[in-house]
Parts: sequence; C-alpha cells; structure tokens
Amino acid sequence: MKLRHAMVCSSNQNRSMEAHSLLKREGLDVSSYGTGAHVKLPGPSLREPNVYEFGTPYKQMFDDLRRKDPELYKRNGILPMLKRNSTVKLAPQRWQENAADGSFDVVFTFEEKVFDMVVEDLHNREHALMKCVLVINLDVKDNHEEAAVGARLALELCQQLEGTESWEDSIDDIVAAFEKQHRRKLLYSISFY
Amino acid sequence: MVGRMGIGSREKAASLLHSAKFAMDIPSKLEHLHQLKEFLLQRDPSLLPEFVPQLLEFQNDRFSPVRKFLAGMIDQLGMEHIEFLPEMVPVLIAFLKDTAPAVARQAITSGTDLFCRTLEKVAIQGLCSSELDSSLESSWDSMLKFKDIVYPIAFQTGNDGIRLLGVKFVEAMILLYTPDPDGPSEPPPYQAYEGNVVGFNMSWLRGGHPMLNIGDLSIEASRSLGLLLGQLRFPTVKSLSNAIIIVLINSLSAIAKKRPAFYGRILPVLLGLDLSSSVIKGVRFCGAHHALKNAFVSCLKCTHPGAAPWRDRLVGALREMKAGVSAEQTVCEVGKFNGIVEDGAGEAYSIEERKPSMESLDDVHIETGKKRSAQEISDLVQDDGLSTKRVRPTPIVSQSSTKDSNAVQDNLPSTGSTASAGDGDSGPVQQLLAMFGALVAQGEKAAGSLEILISSISADLLAEVVMANMCYLPATRPKAEGDDESMLNTGYITSTVGSNTQGIQPSSFVSNVFSLSSAFPQIARLLSAQPSTSRDADKSQRGNEHQAVVATDTAAVSSSINDLTEAVRPTEVVVSTSAVVPSKMEDCSAIPPEAHDMGNFESGIPGLDSSVYTDGLLETLDTSRLSSADIQGTNQEEVTSLDSSPLNFPSTGSTPVDRSEELNPNSTTHTTATSVHLSSQYVLPKMSAPVVDLDDEQKDYLQKSAFLHIIEAYKQVKVAGGTHVRFSLLACLGMEYPLELDPWKLLQKHILSDYLNHEGHELTLRVLFRLFGEAEQDRDFFSSTTATSVYETFLLTVAETLRDSFPASDKSLTRLLGEVPYLPKTAYKFLECLCCPGSNEKVDKELQSGDRVTQGLSTVWSLILLRPPIRDICLKIALQSAVHHLEEVRMKAIRLVANKLYPLSCIAQQIEDFANDMLLSVMNGPNVTEGVDAEGSIIEGPKDSDLENPPNELAVSNVTKEVASDSTCSSILDAQRCMSLYFALCTKKHSLFRRIFVIYKSLPKGVKQAVHRHIPILVRTMGSSSELLGIISDPPTGCENLLIQVLHTLTDGTIPSPELILTVRKLYESKLKDVEILIPILPSLSKDEVLSIFPQLINLPPDKFQAVLARILQGSSHFGPALTPAEVLIAIHGIDPERDGIPLKKVTDACNACFEQRQVFTQQVLARVLNQLVEQIPLPLLFMRTVLQAIGAFPALVDFIMEILSRLVNKQIWKYPKLWVGFLKCTALTKPHSFSVLLQLPAAQLENALNRTPALKAPLITHANQPNIRTSLPRSILVVLGIAQDSQSSSHTQMVQPQTTDTSNSGAEAVTEKNKESSTVS
Repeated sequence: MKLRHAMVCSSNQNRSMEAHSLLKREGLDVSSYGTGAHVKLPGPSLREPNVYEFGTPYKQMFDDLRRKDPELYKRNGILPMLKRNSTVKLAPQRWQENAADGSFDVVFTFEEKVFDMVVEDLHNREHALMKCVLVINLDVKDNHEEAAVGARLALELCQQLEGTESWEDSIDDIVAAFEKQHRRKLLYSISFY
Repeated sequence: MVGRMGIGSREKAASLLHSAKFAMDIPSKLEHLHQLKEFLLQRDPSLLPEFVPQLLEFQNDRFSPVRKFLAGMIDQLGMEHIEFLPEMVPVLIAFLKDTAPAVARQAITSGTDLFCRTLEKVAIQGLCSSELDSSLESSWDSMLKFKDIVYPIAFQTGNDGIRLLGVKFVEAMILLYTPDPDGPSEPPPYQAYEGNVVGFNMSWLRGGHPMLNIGDLSIEASRSLGLLLGQLRFPTVKSLSNAIIIVLINSLSAIAKKRPAFYGRILPVLLGLDLSSSVIKGVRFCGAHHALKNAFVSCLKCTHPGAAPWRDRLVGALREMKAGVSAEQTVCEVGKFNGIVEDGAGEAYSIEERKPSMESLDDVHIETGKKRSAQEISDLVQDDGLSTKRVRPTPIVSQSSTKDSNAVQDNLPSTGSTASAGDGDSGPVQQLLAMFGALVAQGEKAAGSLEILISSISADLLAEVVMANMCYLPATRPKAEGDDESMLNTGYITSTVGSNTQGIQPSSFVSNVFSLSSAFPQIARLLSAQPSTSRDADKSQRGNEHQAVVATDTAAVSSSINDLTEAVRPTEVVVSTSAVVPSKMEDCSAIPPEAHDMGNFESGIPGLDSSVYTDGLLETLDTSRLSSADIQGTNQEEVTSLDSSPLNFPSTGSTPVDRSEELNPNSTTHTTATSVHLSSQYVLPKMSAPVVDLDDEQKDYLQKSAFLHIIEAYKQVKVAGGTHVRFSLLACLGMEYPLELDPWKLLQKHILSDYLNHEGHELTLRVLFRLFGEAEQDRDFFSSTTATSVYETFLLTVAETLRDSFPASDKSLTRLLGEVPYLPKTAYKFLECLCCPGSNEKVDKELQSGDRVTQGLSTVWSLILLRPPIRDICLKIALQSAVHHLEEVRMKAIRLVANKLYPLSCIAQQIEDFANDMLLSVMNGPNVTEGVDAEGSIIEGPKDSDLENPPNELAVSNVTKEVASDSTCSSILDAQRCMSLYFALCTKKHSLFRRIFVIYKSLPKGVKQAVHRHIPILVRTMGSSSELLGIISDPPTGCENLLIQVLHTLTDGTIPSPELILTVRKLYESKLKDVEILIPILPSLSKDEVLSIFPQLINLPPDKFQAVLARILQGSSHFGPALTPAEVLIAIHGIDPERDGIPLKKVTDACNACFEQRQVFTQQVLARVLNQLVEQIPLPLLFMRTVLQAIGAFPALVDFIMEILSRLVNKQIWKYPKLWVGFLKCTALTKPHSFSVLLQLPAAQLENALNRTPALKAPLITHANQPNIRTSLPRSILVVLGIAQDSQSSSHTQMVQPQTTDTSNSGAEAVTEKNKESSTVS
C-alpha cells in the first residue's frame, strides 16, 4: 500500500528537507512542512536570524542571503542547503496550513516540540475522515550532519511501514525493533483525520 | 428527449458496471467502479435504485481493494441517499469480518460517517414533524444494528487497526449522544440543514423527539464511556497494545474536553492509569506516557467550569510524571501550555522567550537599587541592629514555596476567568487590573502566575495597567500595622514582610521584590507572604494589591524604555546586581528591631538565597547570567562583610553606579525619574521617560565602544582578582553582541596583544567554551552553526598567533589545544601544517624550521595523551610526519612515534599497521630506475649523518657511512622515507624484524640498498636477541645477503655469543649450505671446524677470501686465532684441486693472498711452513711454487731454501715432473747458491737440468772447477759438466736441450712466469 508521508521540523529547511529529499529520491510519496511561525535561518549573529514567511521560495532566500554575505552563508552551509531545497520543492510550507494537501498516513517529526504541535494540531482539526495517521518523532539535532543521519533513519522506518500491510497492527513491534536496532528513542502517537 | 437521455445514461452505467465486473486487474476495476460511482452520484441519481443492488454484489469480489472501494462507495452513496442504507449496511456489517483488515477499517469509517449522518437526519426530521418517514426509520435501525456489531470490536482483542477505529466510533457515538455545552443549544431553522449539518447538538432534542430519547441516549453514551474507561483499568490495560492505549487516552481526553461533564469520570481513570506497571517494554512506556501527558495538558487547558476542580490534581500528576520520566519533557509541555515556563527547572527551556522580561527586571534592579542605595544609606548605617525576626523563618517558607511554584500553573487561566467574571465591565486594561487584583488575593499560589502575567503582557499594556491603577494608590503612606498576632497566626512569619514593608514604605518593598525576581521562588515567596497577611487583615489587602501593581508598574516602565537602555545594558547589569544587596539590607534595617535572634541570619538573606539559586541557572541563562554571576560575587563578598560592618555597602554599591552614569546619561535621567516615582506616590503620574532615538549607526557605535571600554577595563581589572568570573562575563558579552560588530575580533586583539599578561589562555578557553556551549546546547540550527563557525575562526586565529609570535619551545599552544572543548577540522589542518611542513602549503617556509616541527609534534603527542577521542586523527598526523620527505622532520616524528607513542598499547597496533603499509608500499612501488635525481643528490650530502640516526641512539651515526653507497637514486631516498619508521619500530619490537627478511627478496634493487644502509644500526641496537636468533635460524628464502650483513654486523667488533655461533652453525649444517654465512663467526670456530670447511673457503671469490683470511688469523681474543698463519698456508697446500673440486687457480690465488700479507706471513712463518711441507709425502702440488714465492719475497731465506732444495734432492725430486720444473727454476733463480745443490744431483738429472737451463752450465762448470769442489765431485758429474770429457758431454747436452723445452708442460711454464714476476717484484 502506498503511504503518504509528511516530514516535519520547525522551519522546513534542514531536517525535514533532508528527509524529504532522501525519501523523494527513494520514490516515496512525501511532503514536508515546518511548524514554526516563521522560517528562521541563521543570521550574522545569534540574535539576528534571517526571518522569512512560509511560502517564500527557497530560491529567493538563496539569492537574498548570497547578496548579504556569501562567505558566511556558504561557510555555515546555509547556501548549499537552500540550493538543495530549491531542487526539492518551491518553498517551505507550514504544517498548520496544510489542510488542503489532504491526509497523510505517516507524519515524521524531528523534534519533540514539533511532534507535540503536530499532534495537537491534528487533534484540533475536524475528524471527518476517520482515517488513522501515525505521528512519529525522532529527535534529531538541527545540524547538517545529524539531519543526514536522521533522514536515513526516517527513510528506513518509512520503508518498513510501507512494507507492512497495515501499520496499525504492527506499529509497536516496528517501533520496538527500530529502537533496539538504532538505539534511538522514538515517540509515536496515533491521530485521526 | 429526457427519456432518451435516461436510457442513454442507463446504458452507459450498465456498460461501466459490466466492465467493472469483468475487468481482470485491480486498477482497471477500480477505475470503472469509480467512474460508475461518479456517474450515478453526479449525473443520474435516478439510476441508483437499479444499480445499488448490483454494486453490492461486489462485496464478494476477490480483490480486497475492490471490496474496500465498495465500502467507501457505500459511505458516499449513503451520505447522499440515506434511503439505501437498509440495503447497504448489511454489506458493511459483513465487511467488518472481512479477511482484509483494510476493508474492515473502511467499513467502520464508512459506518461512522453514516451513523452520524443518519442520526442527524433522524433528529432533525423528528424536530420538524412528529412522524418520521419509514425509510429513514429503517435506515436508523440498520445503523443501530451496525453500531451493535461494531461495539464488541472496540472492546475485544483482535486486529489493532480495526480496533482503533472501533474506539474512534465509540468516541464519535458518545459525543453524538451527549449534549455539547459549547455548541448552539437551539437548532437552526429547518431549511438550513438541507445541505450539510454543521455542529449537530443533542441538546436540540431537549424539547422531545418521536424516536430519540435524549435520556436514553445519554445513558447509552455513559455506558459506552464506562466501557472505554474499563479498558484503561487494571488489569485490562495490561493486555492492550501501546497503539490502543494511545488512542484510548486521546479519545478519552477529547471526550473530556468536549464534554466537561465527564471530567469526573474520565480523569480519575486517566490519573489512576499506572503505565509503569502495565507496560513491559520501554517503548510502550514512552509513547503512551507522552499521550497521557498531552491529555492532561489539554484537559488542563479546558476553560469550562466543570474542569476547574480537577486542575490541582492534573498539575500534581504532571509534576509526578516529570519526576517519573524526564523533567524536561513535562516542563516543556507545561511551558508550552502557559506560554512561559514558571518553575525553576523550566527556566532553562524558556529562556529565549523570556529574555525581554528578564531585561526589564534587570533594569528595575538598577533603578530601585540605585535609588535605595542613595536614599537609605543613613538608615542602613543606623540600623545595624538587624531585625532577624523577619528573616529567620525564611528557610521554611522557601521550602514550601519551591513546592508551590509548580502548583501555580493552573492559576492563570482560572483566575483570569474569575477576574473577568467579577469585573466584566470595560476594556483589557480594566480586566487586567482586575486580574492582578484577583491574583494577589489568591494567595501564594498566585505568585507564579502573577510573575508570568507580568512578563507576558506587552510593555505598553502593562504601562497602561499601571497608569490605571494609580488612582487606587492611597494618598498617604499607610501606617505600620505591626500586628504580631497575624504573624503568629499565619504560620509563615514571612508575612511580616508584607505588613512591615507596608508600614515602612511601599517602594522599598517593590525594590525588594524585584531584586529577588531574578530567582523565582523568592518572588513567589515574598508575594505569597502578602496575601496571607491580607487574609488576616482585611485592610491591608488593598495596600498589598497596590504594591504588587506598583511593582509591575516599575517593570513596565522600565521595559518600555528597555530599548533605549539596551546599548549600555551590560554595564548596567553589573551595577544592578551590586546594588541589589544594599537594597535588601535596607529592608532588614528598616524593620523595627523587635527580636535579636541572629540564628539563621545568613541563610535568611534573600540576596544570598538568590545567589545560590542562580548557581543552577548559570548554565543556561543568557542575560540573567550576567547579573547572577555578579550577584554571586558581590553577594558573597558583601554578605561576609555584612557581619562585620554594613558600612561597606554604600561604597561597593556606588562605584558601579557612577560608571553607568558616565556611560549612559539616558539611564541616569531615567533613574531619577523612577526614583522620584517610587519615593512618592504623588509624583508617579507625572513620570515620563525621555526617549532618545538612536539610529543604527549610533547604536552600533555605542555598543562597540562600550565593549571596547569593557575590554580596556579588563587590563586594569586583572589586579583585582576574580578573573575567572569576569572572563565568563566577557565571553557571554561577546555572545550577545551582533556579529557585524565583530566582538570576537576585539576580544582576540585583547587576548593576543599580551597573551601571558592578559591571561589569554584562560580567556580564550572561556570564550571557546561559551561558544561551544552555544553551539551544542542550542538545538536551533541557526545559532549553532554560527557559533560553530565563530568558534573555529577564534580558535584558529589564536593558535596561529601563538605559533607565530611565541618561540617554538613555548607550551601555550599545546596547552590551548589540549584544553579547548573540541578541535575543529581546521585545527587539525593547522597541526598538520606544523608537523608536515610543505605538504599543505608551500608558503610558510619560515615554519619549516625544525623547532616548529618539534612543537607541532609535541602538541600532537600531548593531544594523543589527553584527548582519547581524537587520538586517531592526531596519530595520523604524527604518522604522516614520520614519512615526511624531509629527513629532519621525519626523524623527529619517528623519534616521537617510536619512543613515545609506540609504547602506548592502545595505539601500538595502529602504528604498526601504518609502518607495515608504508614498508609494503616500498615493495609494491614502481621499480625506479637508477637515474640520478639531481635534487636528491643535493639533499643526500647533509643527510647522511642524520639518516643513519636511529630514533633513540646517536652513537652509531658514522659507522655506516662507508656502507652508504654513492648512489643517490631517488628510489633509495624514497625507500628510506617509507621504511625508517618501520626500522625504528623494529628496535622496539624485534619480532617485526622478520618481515624485512620476508620481503627482502621481492624488493627492488634501490630499496635493497636502502635496507642495507639501515641494517647495521638496526642490528646493533637490537643485539643478538632471541627474536633475531630465531630469524637467523630459520631465514626466509632469498634473504641471504641480508642475513650475512646482519651476521657481520652482529659479530663486528664483538665476540659473538655462543648461541649465535650455535645458531649459525646449525643453519649452515641444516638449511643454508653457503659457507659465506660462516665467515662472520670463523674466529670463534675451532681449528678442526675451520679446516673442514677450508676448501669451500678457498673457493670463495678473492675479496671474500681476503676477509676470511683476516678473520681466521684474527681469531677471538679468548681462544686465540683459529689457525696460525703457518697452518693456513699448510691448509692451502693440503687442498687437492681434483679431490676437492676446486680450480687450481683459486688455490694459487689463495697462496698469493697469503704472500701479500708479509706482516703476517713472515719469513719465519714461511720457513716453518716449508719445513713441514717438505716432509709431506707426497709433496704438495704447489710446493715448489711456494718455495719460489718465498725466495722471491724474502731473499734472505736463500740459505734455508738451499737446505730445502737439497732435501728435495734426497727425496728424488725429479720423480715429480711438475715439481722438478719448479726445482730447476728455483736453482736457476738462486744461482750461485744453488750450485752446490745442483752438484748433489745424480749425473743424469744434472744433465737434464743443465739441458733445460743451459745458462746454468757455464757458471756451474766454473764453480765445479774450483779445486776443492772438483775433488769432491764424482766422475760422472764431472763428465756431465764436461770437465772430464768435454766434447762428448757438450754435444750431448746440446742435443738434449730442445727436447726438454718441448717436454716442459704448461703447468711448469706457468710457474716460471710467476717466478719471473715475483723475482722482478723483489
């Protein structure tokens, strides 16, 4: 059965996009979102992040930052990341505004805060479809290296879920096996559309 | 027309149905069904009655996706055309037991939809008319049947996926059957729900319904809820899967939230849910736990009055969970809920959001503090009789207050609602005002909420609130009430603080509150004290309220001008904290000294408390760290001084105040404004904050110059001590500054301008740790990457400067790299450049000096020792350096690796592997032709001495110079480069040596040469260890040359050990028949042994034989020579070329070799040898040759030779043709001495002799004619000589002569030639 996946982090830039890119490459049906109020990217100092609205094309951010300080943003990996992102999709999307994108089967979050926001958001939506959605959280640190690791783990788990006839029946086993194999803690919840 | 179209569409539908039925694969089947469904629903619903039964036939389709599609289709059809339900629902019911879970799931989903829809329809129709039409009734009946079937699914074990939906169905049903308190309680007009019904509410049916009895329905709902709850009760819950538990919890919390009436039933179960006992796997625990927590939080958020009573228990449960699982999760959770985190531990997490409020609080510190210190110094001085009455009980309170700080959470929403309820009149300001009042009235629990409220309200709004509250302020200062009774009654004696401060001065209390507010429990405590008083004394309540509001007022005002003062904030913070303590002390002093109990004085000082408390926050707080760190410093200082003399405070407090005034006139103005405002209520409304707008550049300039100022100040401040705290401050400051102002560069400049005197190391470490903390702690992508890059640059700049400006022997660099939090990649590159100059950058020529390499290597060494995680990388650097192309670098590195690193067991293997690889690379590398490398030869010259330097010994350098060939082949250099390390390791671990033997055979020529250069040093270092003996006793094939060199080295200049001799001898006997290997140990062999191998020795090439000769004669100092020179010569003569299979030439060569050494083979030796040889029978082949040589070499031997010759005559020498020739040669050579010998020959032989050498004849005749001789000669001789019969004899001899020349063989000729040679030489 073909599942619809959603990768969610806070800004829909690094972790979710890394996973989106990877899952897409592997031929899975995947979308990605951020739960933050804005898209935040590192700025010249800790207190001055570059803030964009969701929906601002990655390309635009790329051009903007390259104009501002190509050296800095190249060094901290922002420009390469944005470039990668722009090849995956047009612009960051916000989870809370994705009702139009239809229902997902698996929502993968990379931070507990994000997980809670997704679960709460799903909770507050109308449960009209009576369709289960699995929300899984895997804590991944927000840097390039960890994001790559997290994406691979996400891919593995998603492929496993895809491989089962109905994850509802075996989710506990899958999660337990995954935790045991990778020594990473997973948190999951089941919500309804 | 219509009819035709109807027919047309009917046909179309029929054909779709047909193709759907007979399609072979799933996708096309689904596609046709989909089209059919669309067609029926959208185009021609009139066909439905005809087609529904046919569609339902698909329920037996063999493909489960088709059945699932049918279930979905039933949903859609049923929603639009409810009348078909009686027909379709049985199919759904059948599907519930379908083999494919997906079908069953879809069936429940569809059923749930239809159930809701039907119920709504029934309900609404019943509202409009007293009769329901029968089709609707039967539809409802069928749905009820469906419900009855689904129910067991929800409560029985089975397929989890289906069960989840079953639970969801029950949830939906419960919600439908019970009235929604939030929904519209009256139904909309009938027409409105022809389309979609939005928000159906059971309460619509209160008026009565022909079919549905609202009471019955709620009973059923209640019963269902009971069933759901039963699932979560012990022991049922144990059998549930995690997924089910999560869904149950979610469902129940959703029900609780939407139907608060059920709180009382649901929450006890949820609260009593003991997941830890019900769950075996850690996994389950986590997910369900989280769900439960979320459920609690969402329940907590519910504002319905019905939920209110449960708050305390929920909060309690959440706190317990926090204790049970991980604190952070819950705290985050709770923090999210309230928008801000309120308890102590929580601060760590919400610090970012809180920054603004913290700042404002800080500002208040300053202002109030300053004011107080200025104003009340006199009081303080007077009142050193400290009132401890108030202070003493504080510990008790703080205990309870920390506990309560958690409980506070729930107060915000509830009091919020109460406030608005009680004071429902006007705008947000009034509401807020009321809320503040309510909070204050609530007592201690509200303290936290109050704090949150203050910090979460926007500054302007807060200011508004304060303004609005002004009118409540009493016109005169309230009198001190000092009611001791109330103090005693409350049990919290701290309450006196409330009443007392009230009596003294409201503003002082305010300052007190805010001085404490950096640590929450304290403010909570103080605030909580107030209400407790207020309960007792009604009158004071209002006053208290005012104070609280005044407090917030100050915060508001200061936060509104926060922007303005931000530029100087850092300095201000320093000021504020030092001022805090005095302000508190005033408080103490202001209280009438009622009791003089000094008991717990120190612990009772709020300032001290807060300092201890802030300790915990130090790690995480950003802004507040500045202040708290200083609080720590100053407080401790001042608290101690307090005991002796409180007079100190004003002075300590005032100094920083001055400075801040210098820096920022604005803040000063503002300060006075505030102080006026605080000291008298009447001035308050007039207060206005002067606002100066700075443009960005000015701001930047201010910030930058402030920072520079601070840094400058550090140069002086060093003397004052306490630098470690200050350094942390500086690092934090750098963190806070915008990057474009480049605080780091400024800091670097400061550090590097005088690294030692500015404690550059310490400061650098602080900065780096701070940056590291920022990068690590912050999960936030942006800040961490920036911090990381700043970290790298900073570290590298400092490191480079240290390298460039300090002598190589300086240890600062090593120390720095050893102590920083971590080393980035660039740091490794840096080290690499240092250790392997030229490999990365050609630029730094200057760096190539050996000292720098040593510095780099010793740094690497210490890193390997000190930082195990990066050991591998550092080791790699060292190893790269150990194969560096520059001799000097390489040797240094090898010395480090072999002597220091290799003994470390953890990395020994790695080193070995690397050395091994390098060694093998030499073998596999291209066999470089012997082209002379110009560059190589240049290096070669100075290299030699160093090259042979083994890592740990210096003595042997010159020994192998001779070995070093003139070849400058680059392959040798390269081979040396790669092999040196391995050789060095061999000296440490002898067993490694074998490998060299093993690969020796396959080495290219140049490399072999390199090996030979190395070997002597190596072997000498190793000595004849057992490993080496092992190798010698069983050498790999093809390594003979190497082996011999090793043996030579081993025996060179020393006496070989018996073991060695034994080993070599065994080897010779067993495996390697090459006599050459015996050469080194020849001196130690016994005479017999030497003699037994003598022929083979003779057979060696001349140069080798020379060596052999030397060794044999040299012998060992203990046993003397193996053979004496005489014995050697005799042995040589004892060799029979034919028997021993040795060419005669070899033997003669050997003889020649002996004769060349005249010092050894003296004439005495020769005489002795000849004496012995002449006795041998038969005579040795070369005997005459030797005699000839002897006479050639030592003419003085001539008499002795004559004796020999005459003995030969006796031995009838003429019988040995070869020797005879030699004999004659000899006589010819030794004439006239030989005449007497000749005359001893028998006549025939004499004639023969004379015929052969006619030149002899005449002198001989002359000699014989001497009268005394002639008489002694027999006649026959005389005849031969022609003295007796002239003619006859002479003609005879003439006739014979040519014959003899003919017969003389080649051997004799050779001897002759040789003879001539030697005679000419002599």
